[in-house]
Amino acid sequence: MKFIETLINGLSMGSTYAMIALGYTMVYGIAKMLNFAHGDIIMVGGYMIFVTMAATGNPILGLLAAVIFCAALGVTIEKVAYKPLRGASPLAVLITAIGVSYLLQSIAQIIFGTAPKMVNIADLGNLSFAGITVPVYTLVTLGCSMVIMIILSLFVKFTRTGRAMIAVSEDKGAAQLMGINVNKIIMITFAIGSVLAAFAGLFMLMKSPSLTNTLGAMPGIKAFTAAVIGGIGSIPGAMLGGLLMGVVEAISLTIPEIAPYTDAIEFITLIIILLVRPTGILGKKRREKV
Amino acid sequence: MANLKSIKWKYYINYIIVGLFTILFAALSLTGMLKSSDVYLLEKISISVMLAVSLSMVVGFLGELSLGHAGFMCVGAYLGGKASVLLESALGEVPALVVSILIGGLVAALFGVIIGLPALRLRGDYLAIVTLAFGEIVRSIFMNSSDESFGGSLGLDTPRFDKKYLFIISLVLVLCCLAITQNLIRSKHGRAITSIRDNEIAARATGINVTKYKLIVFTVSSFFAGVAGVLYSYSNYTVQSSNFDYNYSIEILVMVVLGGMGSINGSIIAATLITLLNVELQTILTGNLAVLKDLFYALILIILVIYNNAPVFKTFRDKYNLKNLLNRFKAHNPSAVKDDEAKWDRVPTKIQMDEVLSVDFQTSSPYTPDKSEKGDE
Amino acid sequence: MKAMLKKVVALLAVFAMLFGLAACGGDNFTAKNTKYVIGFSGPLTGDAAVYGVAVHRSAQMAVDEINAAGGLNGIMFELIATDDTHDATKISTNYSNMYESGMQVSLGTVTTAPGLEYSKLSSDDNVFFLTPSASGDDIPKTGNGFQMCFADGNQGKVAANYVNSTNLTEIGIFYKSDDAYSNGIYKQFKENLNKSIKTVEAVFTGSAQDFSTQISTLKDCKFIFMPIYYQPASVFMTQAKSTIAPDAVYYGCDGFDGLAGQFEDFSVIPQEVSMLSHFDSNAKEGASADFIQKYTKKYGTDTLNQFGASAYDCVYAIYNAMKAAIDGGKEIPVTISASDLCDILMEQFKGDFTFSGVTGTNITWEDNGYVSKEAVKYTLKEANSAK
Repeated sequence: MKFIETLINGLSMGSTYAMIALGYTMVYGIAKMLNFAHGDIIMVGGYMIFVTMAATGNPILGLLAAVIFCAALGVTIEKVAYKPLRGASPLAVLITAIGVSYLLQSIAQIIFGTAPKMVNIADLGNLSFAGITVPVYTLVTLGCSMVIMIILSLFVKFTRTGRAMIAVSEDKGAAQLMGINVNKIIMITFAIGSVLAAFAGLFMLMKSPSLTNTLGAMPGIKAFTAAVIGGIGSIPGAMLGGLLMGVVEAISLTIPEIAPYTDAIEFITLIIILLVRPTGILGKKRREKV
Repeated sequence: MANLKSIKWKYYINYIIVGLFTILFAALSLTGMLKSSDVYLLEKISISVMLAVSLSMVVGFLGELSLGHAGFMCVGAYLGGKASVLLESALGEVPALVVSILIGGLVAALFGVIIGLPALRLRGDYLAIVTLAFGEIVRSIFMNSSDESFGGSLGLDTPRFDKKYLFIISLVLVLCCLAITQNLIRSKHGRAITSIRDNEIAARATGINVTKYKLIVFTVSSFFAGVAGVLYSYSNYTVQSSNFDYNYSIEILVMVVLGGMGSINGSIIAATLITLLNVELQTILTGNLAVLKDLFYALILIILVIYNNAPVFKTFRDKYNLKNLLNRFKAHNPSAVKDDEAKWDRVPTKIQMDEVLSVDFQTSSPYTPDKSEKGDE
Repeated sequence: MKAMLKKVVALLAVFAMLFGLAACGGDNFTAKNTKYVIGFSGPLTGDAAVYGVAVHRSAQMAVDEINAAGGLNGIMFELIATDDTHDATKISTNYSNMYESGMQVSLGTVTTAPGLEYSKLSSDDNVFFLTPSASGDDIPKTGNGFQMCFADGNQGKVAANYVNSTNLTEIGIFYKSDDAYSNGIYKQFKENLNKSIKTVEAVFTGSAQDFSTQISTLKDCKFIFMPIYYQPASVFMTQAKSTIAPDAVYYGCDGFDGLAGQFEDFSVIPQEVSMLSHFDSNAKEGASADFIQKYTKKYGTDTLNQFGASAYDCVYAIYNAMKAAIDGGKEIPVTISASDLCDILMEQFKGDFTFSGVTGTNITWEDNGYVSKEAVKYTLKEANSAK
């Protein structure tokens, strides 16, 4: 019984990671860049929800505002900070991404101050079933990330834009020759990634209502780890990786002797998985040709 | 023979400059002309330079992305610091310093080998995340150590070396670090290393022992990160593992990238400038203005990187760079330029940033970097 | 060759800049002071910024008040606030800059981790500090400073004694294992707790925001000791409000202060919340209420916490001690060196100097640097069922 509860808690934590990892994996898979600013877009989404909630009190409106604002922000960041560097070394883009991350955190502190903001979205309560208590938000988050995962997979597989994304991710040059507007596709990818970040912001606030300007930093790194575990670029992989991270975290937290080392244990899991499968659980293997 | 002269000059210029300024600042310090804040700044700069030069070996010359350099530094800082605590009374201050630098460096180098091993199997961003994970694991282990061993969350109390001399020792060690890395890079081994970066499969096909060279680079690089860690422990009263998080690794990476991949001199300059920028921002923006610190740092970072790397600005950069501006004051001699360009020995140290990672990260290469399943043979 | 030249020039330029900084130094940095200079280093940005900002604002408020009332015998005070982002590596720069710009007396640091570096550095130059909130047991051990807050170990002891005095047989402990403050209290608490009392422990690290696993571990406890800061505490309580028994008690230390301000309506938390502290930011009367009123008028409620109150007291305590020294026949010219002032203040604080302020009345200090004042158990909120 105890174990089932731990498992559920793990899935609860993992569903948030999965949600963030989905956004990470989209951007990474197609634009081929480690977007270190992804976690901070979550934070911006959180503040948008906070502002809208303070004005209207309606979480749905808050989510809507966050989604629109984050999508616009993602596209703007891509245009201003990343696009000029297309064709330059990917490491240069990595550094600007870090710069953008610092910039967003700093602007958030200038605007909203240092004190944590409480955002009470909705108390969904608990669901008790056969002696097991499950917070409802766990189910909601889990369900939503499942749905988003399925929609994303379908979108990528069956729509024109989605297939263009795959083409861009395989070979930008060839995609361009086939008449795909690479810039537009990457822009759309960033918009989608940022919308997912806004959703992640909502789910994180549903769980822990305290909002600060570093809200997204550590979950961002963990979610990135999750995306790598699942195999970067793979949408179901991100989901799987996220849930696995959550479960590992929960199990490790319940064992008092190793609980303080939880972060280390998650990263050790990553290393072990990568040693066994160098491209992650669901990552595609490719042969390198000369 | 005039050519030979210019080669020597080129090869030793960074030693000469660092050496001259070591002597200059040593003289200033010993005559009491340096304030404490200047001394601390010099300590920080020499530690940053050592970190950047050592990371530049992995990132700029071997072509692997490492986000865990602070982890090696952390190992060096804790073990070297512990050694200095235990040995100081038994050996005296200076021998204890030498021994703890060796201990810190060697243990970090050992970890370099351990991390170098997965590097044989993983590439690109997969290796990057493993190094990041390594850094966080190390940090977490020291953070939760017992009070008696490494001080746990309170950190390890370490002796601070006399601040009048420490930065001189650090600068001398920077010179040692330069000597070893540059000699390695400029030897035939260095050319083997850069050939792995440029095309690993081709390098392997020409009979280069990729395994060996990767391990060598990771070991040497982490050795100096460890030494920098020991210097850090000597320049602070406490070593706290929270300082060695992935943000610090990234800051070192920023130095290497800004300095230009595959350029040791570039790393030295960028490390100095970024450390200076951070300290100056921290000094100038106090009180209510402190909140602007990160804003300025971020903006400067973004603008610098975009200006330095964006293909759009290439013509502008070529037109207005320092070299061209200086050329205006010099008589133009086309034959001399040609002669210079023709020297093949420029290749290992002079590869431009855009070309550096063209193999590893080029857009047309697959994003799930895989290598032959069987390993290296 | 030309590319090389570029690098040579760049290297030279860099070092020339450095050389420019290496201006002629001297030992007497306070010679040009026209005001008494107080300095401190705290996290004005980053994760812990809310505490540093509270200290900065409150200390500035105290300095402004003192200056408005004519300073100390006509000499004004000036506050320098430097930002360390809760990072010990930034201390050497902050400290040396403050010292070189004429700092004569300091409030040390806001948090413990950088404070360990600070107290050693300042002891080299013999600079006095009275820290509002760096509560580590080792902070005042360098012999040049005092704490205004309770030392962690003492808080742990007092809390353990309180639990021992109740008839609880099983308690929960929830703490942050990578935090010096939380760990310091936890260790002393465990040491002093009756061995007959069973403990259930849950930890978190870093900036964790999801405590569902820890809540499951602790859900059967009727009494949970939480030596953590209020931000994670507020998250824990929100997430646990329907899982942990409504008649349970959350018991915290001074880090809990500010908790009530986190909630629009504190009664959404059904459990009882108590803390052992020197200040209650909900106080309705006395010196605390005055301070709260002044502070909220100026800055609003969102950074109001015991850190600020303690810093406010620190400035006044230093002022009073200097005043008492002058009354006692000592001379404190405006250009007094930090070391001389340190000796005077050490003598005062070790002597029969007492101070009454926002965080306590008749506060005295022990020779080892710890504060001696009354720790009050504040009930921030009764259990809802008790109403």
